[in-house]
Amino acid sequence: MEALLTIAVLLPLIAAFVLFMFPSKNPKAIRALALFATGVSLLITLTLFASFDRTKSGYQFVHSIPWLPSYGCSLKFGVDGISMTLLLLVGFISFCGTLISSEIHDREKEYYILFLTLTTGISGTFATMDLFFFYFFYELAVIPMYLLIGMWGSLPPGKHGRTKEYATMKLTLYLTAGAVLALIGLLGIYFVGGTLDIERLQHNIWLARGTQMWAFPCLLFGFGFLASLWPFHTWSPLGYAAAPTAASMMHAGVLKKLGAYGIIRLALPLLPEGARHWANLLAILACFNILYAGWTALTQKDWKFVIGYSSVSHMGYVLLGIATLNVVGVTGAVLLMFAHGVMAALTFALIGFFYHQTHNRYVPDLSGLARKIPFIGVCMVMAVMASSGLPGFANFASEVLVFLGSWQQGTAVFRVATICAVWGIVVTATYMLRAVRTSFFGPFDEKWSMLKDAVTFRQKFPYALLLAALLTVGFCPRLLTDIIKQSVATSVVSRLSTSAETKAASTDTVYNTGATP
Amino acid sequence: MMGLYAIQLECLVATWGIVLLLVDAFTPIPNKRLVGYLAAGFVAVALLYSFAIQPIDEPFFHGMFRLDPFALYFKRLFLLALAVVLLMAAEFSPRLESGVVEFYALLMFCAVGMLLIASVNDFILLFVSLELVTITFYVLASYLRRQLPSLEAGTKYLILGALSSGFTVYGIAYIFGTTGTTNFTTLNAQLSASNVQPTAAFTFGMLLVLTGLGFKIASVPFQVWAPDVYQGAPTPVTAFLAVGSKAAGFALLLRVLYAGLLPVSMVWNALIAVLAGATLLYGNLGAIPQRNIKRLMGYSSIGHAGYMLMGVAAVNALGAGAVLFYLGQYAFTNLCAFLAIVAVTAATGSDEIPSFSGLGKRSPILGLALFLSMMSLAGIPPLSGFFGKFQLFAAVVQRAQTDRFYYVLAAIGAAAVVISLYFYLGVGRAIYLQEAEDASPIAISKPMRFGLYVCMAAMIGIGIFQRPLVHASIMAAKIFPLR
Repeated sequence: MEALLTIAVLLPLIAAFVLFMFPSKNPKAIRALALFATGVSLLITLTLFASFDRTKSGYQFVHSIPWLPSYGCSLKFGVDGISMTLLLLVGFISFCGTLISSEIHDREKEYYILFLTLTTGISGTFATMDLFFFYFFYELAVIPMYLLIGMWGSLPPGKHGRTKEYATMKLTLYLTAGAVLALIGLLGIYFVGGTLDIERLQHNIWLARGTQMWAFPCLLFGFGFLASLWPFHTWSPLGYAAAPTAASMMHAGVLKKLGAYGIIRLALPLLPEGARHWANLLAILACFNILYAGWTALTQKDWKFVIGYSSVSHMGYVLLGIATLNVVGVTGAVLLMFAHGVMAALTFALIGFFYHQTHNRYVPDLSGLARKIPFIGVCMVMAVMASSGLPGFANFASEVLVFLGSWQQGTAVFRVATICAVWGIVVTATYMLRAVRTSFFGPFDEKWSMLKDAVTFRQKFPYALLLAALLTVGFCPRLLTDIIKQSVATSVVSRLSTSAETKAASTDTVYNTGATP
Repeated sequence: MMGLYAIQLECLVATWGIVLLLVDAFTPIPNKRLVGYLAAGFVAVALLYSFAIQPIDEPFFHGMFRLDPFALYFKRLFLLALAVVLLMAAEFSPRLESGVVEFYALLMFCAVGMLLIASVNDFILLFVSLELVTITFYVLASYLRRQLPSLEAGTKYLILGALSSGFTVYGIAYIFGTTGTTNFTTLNAQLSASNVQPTAAFTFGMLLVLTGLGFKIASVPFQVWAPDVYQGAPTPVTAFLAVGSKAAGFALLLRVLYAGLLPVSMVWNALIAVLAGATLLYGNLGAIPQRNIKRLMGYSSIGHAGYMLMGVAAVNALGAGAVLFYLGQYAFTNLCAFLAIVAVTAATGSDEIPSFSGLGKRSPILGLALFLSMMSLAGIPPLSGFFGKFQLFAAVVQRAQTDRFYYVLAAIGAAAVVISLYFYLGVGRAIYLQEAEDASPIAISKPMRFGLYVCMAAMIGIGIFQRPLVHASIMAAKIFPLR
């Protein structure tokens, strides 16, 4: 039972390694192996979710393998409510992404190796409890994306005047810049705190105030690059636009969430004083995310750019939720990461479906598609409704929580931020509904008469699965909020509300003033 | 007798080099390639044998020579590099007009100098072994004697190398003049006993010695030779410069600074840190506009000297271990890259980066090998370069806990990582993202394939299971009294 989590995380990487070692030219076998790996790890994740003890707040299913004794580093996996939710997200999206990758017909082997490596990189970061492996998996997720976009992507020429090679290089450099910035902060935490174990750092170590003040911006902006924090977001819409369908799904759906997860898991609980100091700045930047990216999305004509900017805008809500530093807001942020992840993946999958046939995703060129591809049209309308935060979808519950948390925070900055964020919903609804109205409804254009809808069960399944996840959580958000709230309350927010003096009195080792270990 | 035990590896390689010269007289020309494979195989056996040698605490030859874990670590590293470079040289031999076996023999004599360098504990032996390495490299770099770039490389290396040797010996004279000793152990004892600021003359001598060593490792401001020599020299020689000569330079630097001059670390510490920052920026920024892959590797090697100088500048146990680990994995990574470069240039006749276009389709294994080694150089997990850089950054940040100035160095290093990713991915883009004009497959020989597999397995293996090499490097670095 203990090792199940480790298996779920490492299975895709092992499958990638098997593909790497065994020279097979049979695309069916390669695909079957990839489906098996992601499918089994989804099943294991679901089993873990079902047996997750909802009354406990700490890490569960902890499994540890000693790795580097000289650094005190071990390959340690374990999940609490926050990471359980996000692992579930990775499971769904990587499986659906593999299903949808049937459109790839060129160099399949390399494609699946990279895709599976990417999957482990992401789920490893969510599940690890060791600072070194957190960084290891985090970086592992960056490079496969370079090749996935560069080799299988496509970027139609447009006003942006860029090629896919430019897009993928920009993405890689931005993410690496963020990663090394975060690395310096993490190493600072390691040397001041004296351990790589995240759980110990969270509960037993209280870092000196000086360290917290400089390390927090390192982590915030370092992870912020990946979470597309304004003004470091410009890589993101371009990267999505150029990526192949499954890669956009993974990226918008889960990879981007790694940034926000890094802030919630490490920056807030380990550096609470820093967090309090920098929270207002984060809230202001989050508002820029919501409104600036929202308005940019209004002017976009390419479907993928619309969704790309929309996802930057939605990350603004996540970051605003984090900035509130209270249970309601952070819980909302985590739930929104799940909801938006599924929604973004669904939208990119749908765009991929018709783009694969039309080779055109320019919104004004498409018209009345719903007549020819009703199933895709219905799914798209539902995704758009989810994105605009209609009740019944997971996004509604999470956005409401973020607004409540932000308003509850009480200061003038957050009151204004809440108003901006609510206004952002209107902007979202405008560009999303406009795009879907133009391309799926209205007069049918004869040049699209060759389009084929998803008819067989196998074609429909990935979309249905993602929609089902959105609706289930939408109607029963407590499935996730219960476990998220508990973990947020005990391991994130409790540290934020205590001051250094009380903390020093209550835990064992603790007031570590900056001596080297 | 014990003295002979200590230098058995040196004797073995030197004897085999002489035997090779004899064998040459009886070998018909078509078989010369085979001699190269044989030589490589022999060195590989010597490498395995070296694991049977036990380190010994006592110094040999009147304190000149040490066979401690540090020396053995480097000896194994040099033998590994020599074995792969000989393999490369055998592949490269059709492009040498004459003197094929002499080429192998010179490589082996050069390696003897490196093996001695690993054990140096005295400035006199330092100078002698350094010259043995440098002088053989003058010949090796200009071995393609009808090609102007190769001659240019040899001449440049000769002029600058001779100058820096002059500096070194002049500096040694100053150190001897002010302290009366050339032995590192005695020097260390004297410096820590005297407890006063070193005299100006001593500092001057120290700086001159560092100049000579800075030339070997290609650090700023003695780096200008590297790109030209890397580009012009025959590719196996370039590989040996990048792996062997660089490691030898760092072995000397660590010995001199940590075994000899540690008590006066306040004098050289800031200097090394500043040089590290400057080297990082020069190497990585200079590599951006390069279109020739060997020239790119030249700039990249300057950049990597900068990373390792970060570890040297940290002056802590973590840093010393990190430099050793880095050199170990850097050897596999660079050898892998150069093996691939030799194979591709043999087929295409060009070492411009555009001629690597579509390599991923022309030869999946060469494409993969070159791509993986570029990513390892850039420090991407799960490859070995990632953990190497992680340790170096860790060492600098640890030092920064007491000395805030080091955060600047860490920040420069971070910027360098991002810059380097740009040009390494430039090679990656040619391999996988661009189409070849001539899409004919590239054939590679069996020994070559074997060498590539070994290097790739090592890169991935060390990257994931770091423990054995970390353990070895920590053991080797323990000989220095660092905390």
